[in-house]
Amino acid sequence: MPGGNTDVAVRWRLSRHARRLLTLALAGIFIATVSRRPEFAGAAAPALLLLAAGRGSRPAEISVAARPSTRRAFEGETVTLTVAAAGAGAAAGVGAEYGVRWTLHPGRGVDPVGSPTADGAATTLAVTPERWGRRELGSLEVVLRDRWRLTEGHAWVNLPRLDCYPRPAQLDTEVVLTRLPNRLGEHAARTWGDGTEFSGVREYVPGDRQRSINWPASTRRGRLQVNMFAAERSQDVVLLADATSDVGEPGSSALDLALRGAAAAARVYLDKRDRVGVITYQWGGAGWLAPGLGKRQLYKIIDTMLASDAGWARGAAFRRLPRAALPPGALVIVFSPLLDQRFVEALRDMRERGFTIFVVDVLTVDPPARPRVVDRLARRVWRMEQQAIRFSLRELGIPLVHWDGVAPLDLPLAPYTRRPLVPAGHRR
Amino acid sequence: MTRAVRTPVATGVAATLLGAAAAVWCAVPVISKGWAGFALFVVIGCVIASAVRLAVAWIPLSDDTFLLPGPIRAWLTFLRVVRLPPWEEGAVIAALALEALHPARPWHTAVLGAVLTAYLLTVHLADSGAPASTLSPQVPVLAAGACLLALGAGAGMLPAIAPGPGSALLRVVAAIAVIVAAGLVLPHISTRRG
Repeated sequence: MPGGNTDVAVRWRLSRHARRLLTLALAGIFIATVSRRPEFAGAAAPALLLLAAGRGSRPAEISVAARPSTRRAFEGETVTLTVAAAGAGAAAGVGAEYGVRWTLHPGRGVDPVGSPTADGAATTLAVTPERWGRRELGSLEVVLRDRWRLTEGHAWVNLPRLDCYPRPAQLDTEVVLTRLPNRLGEHAARTWGDGTEFSGVREYVPGDRQRSINWPASTRRGRLQVNMFAAERSQDVVLLADATSDVGEPGSSALDLALRGAAAAARVYLDKRDRVGVITYQWGGAGWLAPGLGKRQLYKIIDTMLASDAGWARGAAFRRLPRAALPPGALVIVFSPLLDQRFVEALRDMRERGFTIFVVDVLTVDPPARPRVVDRLARRVWRMEQQAIRFSLRELGIPLVHWDGVAPLDLPLAPYTRRPLVPAGHRR
Repeated sequence: MTRAVRTPVATGVAATLLGAAAAVWCAVPVISKGWAGFALFVVIGCVIASAVRLAVAWIPLSDDTFLLPGPIRAWLTFLRVVRLPPWEEGAVIAALALEALHPARPWHTAVLGAVLTAYLLTVHLADSGAPASTLSPQVPVLAAGACLLALGAGAGMLPAIAPGPGSALLRVVAAIAVIVAAGLVLPHISTRRG
């Protein structure tokens, strides 16, 4: 259902109350006939009259509207579902003639907030998605009851789909390159320019603006001095989310952390007016989105991460990605558990091609500890392999930090956010 | 205890008391012929099970019990089982059968019919959580039903025109015909008034 009004067929049947009355009536008449005692027929009379008098017209179809407050929500966010039933003709009395009860049957990965049932012709229900992904909200059961509650009409409505975005990690700082492209932005570059960050004074030359003269410095030195400011530039950032391995508890797995970290980084860099793109690496290929600007880019990036399994890029590899996906001089921030050797090789390849790479390790679990000697040995070998992978990346000059998903992402990034990151192939 | 909580509890207790009254009313005087003992056992069992069902009706049932511990799964299974059978229908049928095993006593049977009707209406109120005032539109119908109940009891007290089973059956058919006629006419009257 697209969220508008939907006509649904109503299936009517006797209520439990009516079935009880019917039992009393039929049992009374049966015993009266068998035992030839008319007083039993009299005992059945009230129930029979109630059943007869409660008959009425029953609509075969009603119109149901179910509108979620949003089609896009973050993990744990409450989505309100406004539902209303209406009808025409025999169904015009929905709400007045018939009582309406709504029962929400949430879809997989969606939890009801509070009671999943509500009464009234128009009411609200609330749900919250547990985990990121494209979620079916579920279905809605509508029960119509006549005024004497002798019959019940049942109808089912399928609810629309909800795009649940990963909850962004806490991140307020950003890693910035030392060499930035010559494009206006908000990062203070090492070159002089027309920014707002003071970077020094120099002697006045004809053509300088009078308002930039630093009068205290001029007085001290005896010659006119002018203020210099750092140029403000933007950078290209490509977020690389490794979706090849999803290990750990659902909700805090490596892929969960990778997507939350990437979402947080996308938000921070887009707020700083950088161009941000995304590549999702997975078995059999990679999905990508070229760097772009603006608020909409954030949603595009998250949509790309959610729909990474679709699109023409299936089967593509880094070597085959178009130039727009990985612009030269871009900062590549990688969120990966580093479990897939081919992905590590791809990182090495990118580094050799001159990209500046920054790796956030999101592996938070170890293989299970078992008492057998072989298992212990395998676990030890696995750990040594992991250490070797991380060592080899550091040897290549790739900064690598570990993030557990609990602490703010600012903490592991702190050593690299205080000073600019030297691009690949350059020395200070 | 708030009024919203007190009302279903009170109606649940009232339904149980009415069920107990119906069981006692149809059982006295205690007889031992035929299936009387079994019918009495069924009446008592169904009334008790119905009371338990009403008492635990507010507890929500979880669909996914696979990962729950054993005692909780057993408790949820008990809840599911106790809600499934039609206990009230069983109690009504057994009570009427027990009453039929007694010698003919028309007014006694009429009172039992009234108690059973009240029992079912009270169970319905306890199930739905609705106040007793929701039954007020049904009062004229119930009054007509009470009249027919009295008529049936009166027909039972009339002496047979002639000896033999045919005469008794004729009385029953006449009583049923009156009730069916009332049931057919009453909806039209109530529609016109509405």
